This record gives sequence, C-alpha cells and structure tokens, in this order.
Amino acid sequence: MKNVRIWFEKKGAARYISHLDLTRCMSRALKLSGLPVWYTEGFNPRIYMTYAMPLSLGVQGDRECMDIRLLEDRDFSEIVSALNERLPVDIRILSAAEPVKKFEEIAYADYEVLLETEQAEKLKRLLRDLLSKEQILVMKHGKKGDKEIDIKPYFAGADIRKIDDTCLCISFRLPCSVSGSVNPSLLLDALQREEGEEPNAKIVRKRLLTGDFSEIQ
Amino acid sequence: MYPKKVEKLLPKVQKPGRYVGGELNSTVKEKSEVEVRFAFCFPDTYEIGMSHLGIKILYGAINERPYFWCERVFAPWVDMEEKMKEENIPLYALESGDPVEDFDFIGFTLQYELSYTNVLNMLKLAGIPLKSADRKELFHIVVGGGPCACNPEPLADFFDLFFLGDGEEVDVEVMELYRRCKREGKSKADFLELAAQVEGVYVPSLYDVAYNGDGTVQSYTPKNGAPATVKKRVINDMDHAYYPDSFPVPMIDVIFNRISEEVLRGCIRGCRFCQAGFIYRPFREKSVDTIDAQCRAWCDSTGYDEISLASLSTSDYSELIELLDRLHLWTEKEKVSISLPSLRVDGFSPELMERINSVRKSGLTFAPEAGSQRMRNVINKNVTEEELLHTVNVAFTEGWNRIKLYFMIGLPTETPDDVLAILQLGQKVVDAFYSNPDRPKGKGVEVSLSTAAFVPKPFTPFQWFGQDTMDTLHEKQKALKGNIPTKRMSVSYHGAQTSFLEAVFARGDRKLCAVLEKAAEQNFRFDGWDECFDFDKWMKLFEDCGIDPAFYANRERSFDEVFPWDHLDYGIRKEFLQRECERAYRAETTPNCREKCSNCGASCYKGGLCVEKRENMV
Repeated sequence: MKNVRIWFEKKGAARYISHLDLTRCMSRALKLSGLPVWYTEGFNPRIYMTYAMPLSLGVQGDRECMDIRLLEDRDFSEIVSALNERLPVDIRILSAAEPVKKFEEIAYADYEVLLETEQAEKLKRLLRDLLSKEQILVMKHGKKGDKEIDIKPYFAGADIRKIDDTCLCISFRLPCSVSGSVNPSLLLDALQREEGEEPNAKIVRKRLLTGDFSEIQ
Repeated sequence: MYPKKVEKLLPKVQKPGRYVGGELNSTVKEKSEVEVRFAFCFPDTYEIGMSHLGIKILYGAINERPYFWCERVFAPWVDMEEKMKEENIPLYALESGDPVEDFDFIGFTLQYELSYTNVLNMLKLAGIPLKSADRKELFHIVVGGGPCACNPEPLADFFDLFFLGDGEEVDVEVMELYRRCKREGKSKADFLELAAQVEGVYVPSLYDVAYNGDGTVQSYTPKNGAPATVKKRVINDMDHAYYPDSFPVPMIDVIFNRISEEVLRGCIRGCRFCQAGFIYRPFREKSVDTIDAQCRAWCDSTGYDEISLASLSTSDYSELIELLDRLHLWTEKEKVSISLPSLRVDGFSPELMERINSVRKSGLTFAPEAGSQRMRNVINKNVTEEELLHTVNVAFTEGWNRIKLYFMIGLPTETPDDVLAILQLGQKVVDAFYSNPDRPKGKGVEVSLSTAAFVPKPFTPFQWFGQDTMDTLHEKQKALKGNIPTKRMSVSYHGAQTSFLEAVFARGDRKLCAVLEKAAEQNFRFDGWDECFDFDKWMKLFEDCGIDPAFYANRERSFDEVFPWDHLDYGIRKEFLQRECERAYRAETTPNCREKCSNCGASCYKGGLCVEKRENMV
C-alpha cells in the first residue's frame, strides 16, 4: 500500500460547495477513475481520503492538498489525468507525489483577497487607515458563543496592491493549523464595521505552509 | 455556469451551491450551434429537483439531438430570490447562465398542486408574460407535463400546451415541429394548431368552455381542428424506450443523492385513492437485462455507490429476486449497494431482505393506509392485518425495532371507529413485538403512525367524493391524539389546510386561473413549505376573487357531472371509475391486474401487462 499526496484547486462553482460535499465529489471521482484505491475497513467501507485543511465555503483554493492510499503503484501523471477526467470542471488536480511532510506540520496559509470597487484609490486609503489602527476589534463567532477579538496582529503586515481602477488585491499570511486558524474574512468584517464598506470580495487561499514558512510537500 | 453578477449574492445566501451549476455530466453546448433552446424548469428547490428521475430522462432525450439544448432551472429559495430582485438579476439556467428569457421553450414539470404558485413566480422572475395570450410571437412557448397535467385547467391560461402521459418521445416531436415552423416563418397560432394534432399534446386555448348556472362545466368545444378528446402518450416497449446513460451529478447533497433506476412504469394494484395507480397504466416492466445494463452505465458515469430500484411498487416487479441476484454479480465487487424505496406489506420476505444490504436496521416503513379491514376494502388496499403482523414479525426477528406506518384519514365512508382502528392496529404491532421470542434484546419497540388527510384526485374512483371539511379532519386528528394507548406509539399528521388547498386545485377548473394570477401578483410561492404557506392569505385571495374553494374541495359530485378533465383521455374509462366507486361504497375489493383484468380501458394502448394477459387468455 502506498500513500499518494494530491494537489488540487477548488474554484468557480466548486467554491460554493462545503468540505463534506467536496469529499463526496472526490470519492465519486476516485471510484470512477478505476485507480486501485484503498477502502477503510469499517462496517461501511469508504474510500480513504484525508485532507490537509478544510476550506471555508466560498473561499477559492489554488493549491489544496489531500492524501489517498493505493493498493498498487501507478504513475503520478496517470493519477492526475484519471481524476481530472472524472471531476467537475472547477475541481482540477494539479499534481500528485509521494508525501514528504505530515499535515500536522501545517502552521500557516497565504491568502489573497480580491476586492471589487468603483474607487480603488479610496478603498485602498480606507484599508490603510484600518490597518494602522492601534486595535482592530471584530466579533468572532465560536462554538462557545461570540467574543470580541483584536485582529491587528494578524493583518498588520498585509500588502495592498491596486490591480486596476476597479480592483484591489490584499495579501497576507495567517495561522492555519489543526490547533487553530484565523479566518481571512475577519478583515472584511472589520472593513464593514469600522469603515462601513462592503465591497465584493473573493478570498483565495494560495498555499499551505509549515512552521518554517516552507510550502507543504 | 452562473452569471458573473450572481457572484456577489452567493456569499449572502444559504446553500449557494444550488445556484452555480458546473456539475459533472452537465451538458454545455456551443450556443451558435443549437437551433432550439429548452429551459427545463423544476418549480421547487435544486435539492428536490435534482432528485427527480423524470428531469434526467427528458434532459438526456432532448440533448441527444445536436441542434437542441436543454438546460436546468430551479426555483431560487426566498433568500436568493430577494437578492436577485434587488440586483435585477433575472432567473437563469444553470448550464449557460443565460436568462430564461433567451429560451424558445420554458418547460415545467407539474408534480404537485402546491407548486403552481412557484411555476408562475418563476415566469415572473424570468420576466416572461404569464398569460399565453400575451406571448404573441413564436417564442417563449410555455409547456408542462407530469402527473398534474391530467387536470391542468387551473393553469390553462398560462400554458401554451401540455404533454399528457410519457414525455420521452412527444417532447422531442413538438420541438422538431417548432424547429420546422420557425424555419417556415409560421405564426405561434399555426404552430399550436399543428401541435394539437400530435398524440399526447393538449393545447388549452383551442377549447372553449361553457359553464352551467351552478358553476359546473357544461361542455368543452374544440376549435380549429383540435381533437374532441386528447389521448395521453404511452411508450409500450420499456426496453427500447430512450434512457440516458448519464446525468448531471450534483456537487451538493440533495434529497436522493444516488442512482434511481426505473424498473417498471404503472401499477397493478388499483388502490382507489391513488391517482398514479391509474394514470400511469398500463403496467410495463423493463427486462432484467435492460435494468442491469442501465444500472452499470449509470454507475460508470456518475460514481455513485447506491442504486435505488424505483417505481410505484417495486415489490411487484415479476423477477425481483432474479434481478437482485443479477445485479449482485457485480455490485458487491464494486461496493455498490442496492435499496428498494417502496415496499408493500405483502412484499417483504426474508429472502428479499437477505439481498438488500443497505436497508438500515433502524427503521422500516409500511403503508397500510387505513386502520380497519372494512376501510382497507373500501380503498382497495388489499392488505390484511395478518399480512401486516406477519411482516412486522419478520422484521422484528431480523433485528428491526422501529416501524413507521402510513395512514390516511378522511377517506370515503370513514366512521369514528375506522379512525380509532388506526390506533388499534398500532397497538397490535406493539403487542407483536413483545410476544416475538426472537425480538431484538435490550430494545423497546417504537411504532410511529403518520396520518395524512385524503385528497380526492381526478382519474380515480373517488373523483366524485367531497373531501372532509377541515373541521371534520381536525376532529379526527383530535380523536387520534387523545387516545394513544401506549408510550411505545406516536402519532403525527400532515396539515389539513394544505390538503384542502391541494384538493381545490386538483379538481379545479379554469376559473381558478384568476386566483393563481392574483397569487402571483401578491408574491405567493413555496406553498408546499411551512415557512411560506399562509392559509389565511389564501382564503382572503379566494374571497377577493369571488370564488368559493369548498365548491372544488368539499362538494360531492353526481355521476353525471361533466368534469374539467373529461376531454383528456388517459385510457381509463369514466364508466370503469364509476363502477369502482360503487364497489368502494359497498366495501368490495377488485383483484389486481395480474390476477384478473378489471377492464379499465388502458388495454387500448396494447402494451405491457394488458397484452400479456390477452395472450394468456387465448
């Protein structure tokens, strides 16, 4: 039996399906691919899959990651094409390889937020103002109820770029691990709460990183 | 694919995956290469529509032709609807993202009466004039099919034509006719007159209706060469009928997230309350070979690991055990499980259960439909108490401890004793559990009784019956609730109000078009959903339109009354239904089609069991 790590992107229509729905899509594609996948051995056997880090509904993933197990060897390129043939168009397999690091080692993720606006300069200024505040308080909705948190430490280093007159791009790095993550949409909550702005936003998770900021392999 | 403008709404609505398309196996064509575009509209949410088998068959049948393109449209839930209105985004189809306004055909499947307001609301959201007469060009042809098309009169003003019966062939024929008419520059009126000549096509505007002084129908008069009666379309050979080898696989979870393979069409039983049991006759089965091949094709194109063998009564499939054994030759190896959705009380056997591995041990559902034997004879549900108790004992021995039983209240000739007999039957099931030595140990039994109010429907022996008033139904519900004998039993019931409204539209006539038009103006929709259904608003609406809903729901009809659906011919003769009605009132049962032909009239189609029987008799 062999572990295989698979990188994929989740974009377009597939952005709007939950993590559970994604696993169902993948499971059907794996079944259709005819690859010699390993099934779990419980009462209801299912295709073994484990995901690096679930993606929130609505967020695009440019380089997501999951592991499967194969009972026989297959060329990595064959795995990629067999799955791509059987997946919805907006879920694409990018590559497959032998896993190097463990998913538990993931500690950060890089994000980009694309903002649509009629006044890019003005919005850029508002964002700068927001990020230069002493404290940026937002409500965090958690299992134990809502609480107010300061997100300044997480977003202070965000880079704001103007793509064109109608689009801004903000990039930042956030904690993202099994022990806890910071949701990138908190920045949008703050923008709405502090500046009253609610531009159309597309959040993209660019890559997953380990504790030393190297990409997970 | 969804239009770009929708992107900013999606983060703000529940379940955005309903509105984006992009599924595996969805058919995307090059717009410039197709001649006729068909928007297949399901007047309910994505999760319900995508669970429906008919849409998959017709989608495939239309898209098989390179010059046709069929796309899917579902009713946006109220949160999305509100946002779309705010942003002026019209209703769009999921494959192209194009507005429904761009389509030649707008087709609705009419599955239940309470979806009628959704039909009109979807036309409104698409920006298409509601009334057929206001759509003057040969474009935006609004068509409908499905079980409610057997009395489509409450929708007559809005639809250009209805398909009666099986749709696989007739839908495509009418699209071909449209294509020809378009090329020849014909008018919409020309097209509709030609369409009315196709078997299975009903063009309501080609019939003038006259009413009697008391509001009942006097006559339907055809004009411009339309036939006096419109015969439903039937596909006789289920083995050679069109059947798709793939369908769009939803990315989000839907109600039936699995393959449903139709194993037969029609029903042999003739339960007198059941419209489907009559309008889908004759009873036609697919062969084991066909079902096996179709199941394999669907597994190979979708990746699903569950197949449900669907039909009105799958345990009546004549070679069920052989079929399951054939499927098991490959399904076990490929880790595909098989389930049966509807089991008859007398169709449940240990050898069947052995072959169904996916039935959860937690609960089993049966539908005795009535509590007393007399009442079951009236409705021709030929199931005895002994059979039910035998079946639940098999289930208990096999390890089940939860049984759900479906009943109806408000059936013709029902007495208070018949209602209370529902509880007595439940008690006998509880007792059977405790006297079964092989029952699952360490568990108690749970029997839940679910009761629905009976709705009389066209083309059934009860089409003359006046539905119980809501007061009577409430009394019967109270009698049930107040007399539950044990904690092992629970009783639930479905709303009398929705059943009343269903009864109004099921046997309605064209005068109800005005009510529906006003309902659309006042933004009625999703009446089948508790969140949206507002009974008082409906009553106000009827009052404003000067229409008494009880005339349709509660009035007992005489045998000589002309019905709004009498000019629609489903093969079942009215004399047969009257005979069955008279037998019902005498509590006399009628044998099923396999035992003996009861001469209903469906044999005029010369198909399925009707022909087999004739051969046997020679």
